[in-house]
Amino acid sequence: MSDVMAEVVLMLTEVVGEDFLLDVEVGPATTFGDDLALESIEFVALVDRLRGHYGDRVDFPRFIAALDLDQIMNLTVGDVVGHIESAIREEAHA
Amino acid sequence: MPEVTARGVRFHVQTMDPVGHAPAADLRDGAGPGRRAAQGPPVVVFVHGLVIDNLSSFYYTLAGPVAAAGARSVLYDLRGHGRTERPSAGYGAAEAVRDLFAVLDALGHRGPVHLVANSWGGVVALNAALARPSRVAGLVLIEAYGPSERPGAWIEDLLNTLGRSALLLEHERVAERYRALGWRRGARMAATADALINGTSLLDDLAVAEPVGPAALASVACPVLAVYGQHSDVMDAGRLLLRTVPGCTLHVMAGYAHTVLREGTAELLEVLLPWLAHHAGTRVPVAGGAR
Repeated sequence: MSDVMAEVVLMLTEVVGEDFLLDVEVGPATTFGDDLALESIEFVALVDRLRGHYGDRVDFPRFIAALDLDQIMNLTVGDVVGHIESAIREEAHA
Repeated sequence: MPEVTARGVRFHVQTMDPVGHAPAADLRDGAGPGRRAAQGPPVVVFVHGLVIDNLSSFYYTLAGPVAAAGARSVLYDLRGHGRTERPSAGYGAAEAVRDLFAVLDALGHRGPVHLVANSWGGVVALNAALARPSRVAGLVLIEAYGPSERPGAWIEDLLNTLGRSALLLEHERVAERYRALGWRRGARMAATADALINGTSLLDDLAVAEPVGPAALASVACPVLAVYGQHSDVMDAGRLLLRTVPGCTLHVMAGYAHTVLREGTAELLEVLLPWLAHHAGTRVPVAGGAR
């Protein structure tokens, strides 16, 4: 598991509770809607933690603004991890 | 989680920073208190609906584009809703208005703001504008409850629906059954609704809530944009707003019912963003820029 993946899973655990995540094997293909059954307000809380952790290095508001709620709930954990990793890579090359 | 404590309650708040800055010269509204907010970007506060609603319904729809147009978007979960604390009492309109201004005070927003409200949030926003006109520069009322000429019957349908839900949640143990089936999201929503409807004074407080009648509506000093679905159960409120509020614009969304915020987001933005540009001094959206 990549560092970013591990960090995202840790933040997910904080948002939804460890008991629930123990029942679900979280991988890059895990969706927030169907697999994790995240409520939309919980995704807000997750984005909040991501913003707190990665700060301005990752532009989450723009990432979210480009999607509607259904598209957000269809996102996979891998989509979010990929977005973070590419933003960090771009920053390193800037 | 970002939160503020106001009136002894921990409120979950989210703020989206304005993209760029709308210069003060762009403030074209000569009528309302909005022109006094020439320093800094305009502040737009979102007020959501009842029970299973929370700030996320605005977070994923209007708040981002409004911030992108140059306003500071402020979202909060009403008491008992979303990730805000759930005290046992204080769910009437007057209490909600006090909560709103206390949250804004705690965030340091003491100047006039624009309120964008959905469904029951409209009752809160309308009463806020009447209670503290110097602090409300404009109102956007989406499928809003509140205006009515029929005290006593104005939210009968809403109360009946909530009353039926209360019985179902308590006696059918909906949350437990969903949990047993592994329906996590349904179980959590049912548990939240049960705790709010059966565990607080919400229903009692709503039962004694008064509508805003024509005389009070005629005294609304700020500009109002009212948006209702063509097939909405609350459409009478929209017509009454148009007839009585001096600065009201009514937009009816063809083919929609009560869920215009979720289902008609793109059309809603096409109406909302130019209205805010005119009245709050945000940027006029580029054609096709709204989703």
